[in-house]
Amino acid sequence: MRMPHESAPNLQTGDLAPNCVLPDGSRLFEWRGRPVILAFAPEEWDPTRAHQSEIFARLSREFGSGATFVDTATDEWHALNCRGALAAQFGVAGQRALFLLDERGVVRWKTVVAPGQDLRAGQVLAALEALHSPPATAGGVSALGGGLSRRTFVTATLAAAALLLLPGCSTESTTKEANSAADPMGPASSADTIPVVLTINGKTHRLQLDPRVALLDALRENLHLTGTKKGCDHGQCGACTVHLDGQSALSCLTLAVMSQGKEITTIEGLSTGETLHPMQAAFLKHDAFQCGYCTPGQIMAATALLQDKNVRAGSAVEIREAMSGNLCRCGAYPNIIAAIQEVQRA
Amino acid sequence: MHPFQYQRADSADQAVAAVAKTPGATFIAGGTSHLDLMKEDVHHPSLLVDVSALPLKQITAFEGGVRIGAGVSNTAAAYHPDLQQRYAAMSEALLAGASVQIRNMASMAGNPLQRTRCPYFRDPAQACNKRTPGSGCAAIGGYNHVHALFGASKACIATHPSDLAVALAALDARVQTTGPRTIAFPELLRLPGDTPHLDTVLEHGELITAIDLPAFAGRSHYLKVRERASYAYALVSCAVALEMDGPKIRRARVALGGVAHKPWRVGPAEALLAGQLPTEQLFQAAANAAFADAKPLEHNAYKIPMGRNLMVRALLETSGLQPMQGPAGTAFAASVGGVAGRLATPR
Repeated sequence: MRMPHESAPNLQTGDLAPNCVLPDGSRLFEWRGRPVILAFAPEEWDPTRAHQSEIFARLSREFGSGATFVDTATDEWHALNCRGALAAQFGVAGQRALFLLDERGVVRWKTVVAPGQDLRAGQVLAALEALHSPPATAGGVSALGGGLSRRTFVTATLAAAALLLLPGCSTESTTKEANSAADPMGPASSADTIPVVLTINGKTHRLQLDPRVALLDALRENLHLTGTKKGCDHGQCGACTVHLDGQSALSCLTLAVMSQGKEITTIEGLSTGETLHPMQAAFLKHDAFQCGYCTPGQIMAATALLQDKNVRAGSAVEIREAMSGNLCRCGAYPNIIAAIQEVQRA
Repeated sequence: MHPFQYQRADSADQAVAAVAKTPGATFIAGGTSHLDLMKEDVHHPSLLVDVSALPLKQITAFEGGVRIGAGVSNTAAAYHPDLQQRYAAMSEALLAGASVQIRNMASMAGNPLQRTRCPYFRDPAQACNKRTPGSGCAAIGGYNHVHALFGASKACIATHPSDLAVALAALDARVQTTGPRTIAFPELLRLPGDTPHLDTVLEHGELITAIDLPAFAGRSHYLKVRERASYAYALVSCAVALEMDGPKIRRARVALGGVAHKPWRVGPAEALLAGQLPTEQLFQAAANAAFADAKPLEHNAYKIPMGRNLMVRALLETSGLQPMQGPAGTAFAASVGGVAGRLATPR
């Protein structure tokens, strides 16, 4: 076991964590006798986000006597800045990391996520598995009798959940195929990015994005879903139309970070395997495009129209009005209307 | 686009606290105007506080009228059966504005807060006191065909673009804010004076939580002229709310859009209409009164006859002397010149 004063740049599992002053003014050694979790994150990781503070509030409860970084009274909690001296002491300067210390202050679990890297669910599970075996300790001190207390296990599970919220963490897909394919991530995360979780065509994507990124650009540039087109980029042409919770919306005027929690459907999500959506088939049949650039947006607007009870089915006039947000420079409007009418009547 | 911090608010209090303590912070809801202006380098907030998830999405009965949550989408409000029937002017204004996509995204509180469509405001290379106080006004000596007839100043001749705001002004709507305070609709928005960078009377960090429509038992109507059949801003628009007393007009409220820095209520015209039998001659007199003080610029004098004719027609259609072009409460009733191929015209 390394001694605290030797605080090495690479603190390993089984090492005694160095004593240090925590953001609340207490010293780490004062927490002996209780497990402690240390979270290092960049400053821009906003801990006040509800789902984060909820997890940390639960961590707080599991820790019992309040040995935690959550102040449940004010709902403020203290992340340790990964650029601070403390992070350097723990050997994780500039990195996102979680440390789980046991009752004796020994590192029982440590996970570091380097910038631009993913943390896969499997790694978290492996880390949790590791907790089940006795720690490799020096000095003949056995920890926890070779097993985990329920509290420690619950804490570790919550810690894993918390870790997944740290910027730059993993992509977990809700479908098998998305799990097997490497999830296309954007450029390496930087200090200016935040975690964004998007549900697109039924799959969950975890991205690390600059808050300025519009949903349109996240789809095209980060996820390579290039069916959605960038026309004017100012909400004037409709080429970027997608569905948010079943309603048509402009992805160019929607921030990706504000699309979280919504069901996003793009043109890629309309067909079932090789079977086209009836609207896609009708556009083909009626030759409802020339260059095709506005077509994905037209089709997304048209399919949303099918669900719109406020527009009379089959009325060319009402279709024209409802589709006025989608411009077609080729002037394929009569054929677009014919295609929509056919599907509405089917 | 300039970098900004982003924060999602879970409560109105949290949103207000976050914006109030941060210079340069703004709320964002639908974002359809705000984000566009951020891309244009006109808006550069330091912090965006996302209020789109706040529980402000109810439409409820309130003091004989209706309270519309600030976060209700333009689509949901426009097609709400009670609103569409009782406050047709509001539904018509909403449905004759923007596109389906934008109406789905835009919030009811955000719509009246959208910024002017003056092209000089939206071009950072041009002088604009609204965008950059003290830089001058390129529109005054420029191409000002979409600019104001009323209430303009030497600092700014911009018009307010919201259709909804015009209807709300005619309906005497009020906004509730986190002040907490109640602000009557026309007073929410300001004339430019020498502070055209201020569009509203809202304080930094003051959030609109609801729009209240007072009880109304008459007929209301919105009529709009634009440069193309659909999905365009109004050149001139007119909202009318008429309450009858037998065959006579008990009270008339008329607001004009596209002619001033805020919806323009025409008090002298309203006074002329009160207590009178509705006739075309009366409506002509009212329209003349409404535009008597108009101060045209180099390129927008066309708005005076256009606005007068529009107001007469809006009054004729509201009073029933002339049929509307489409069903009340829809875009088809609101659009002069037909909407993208008109409905069967009753006339």
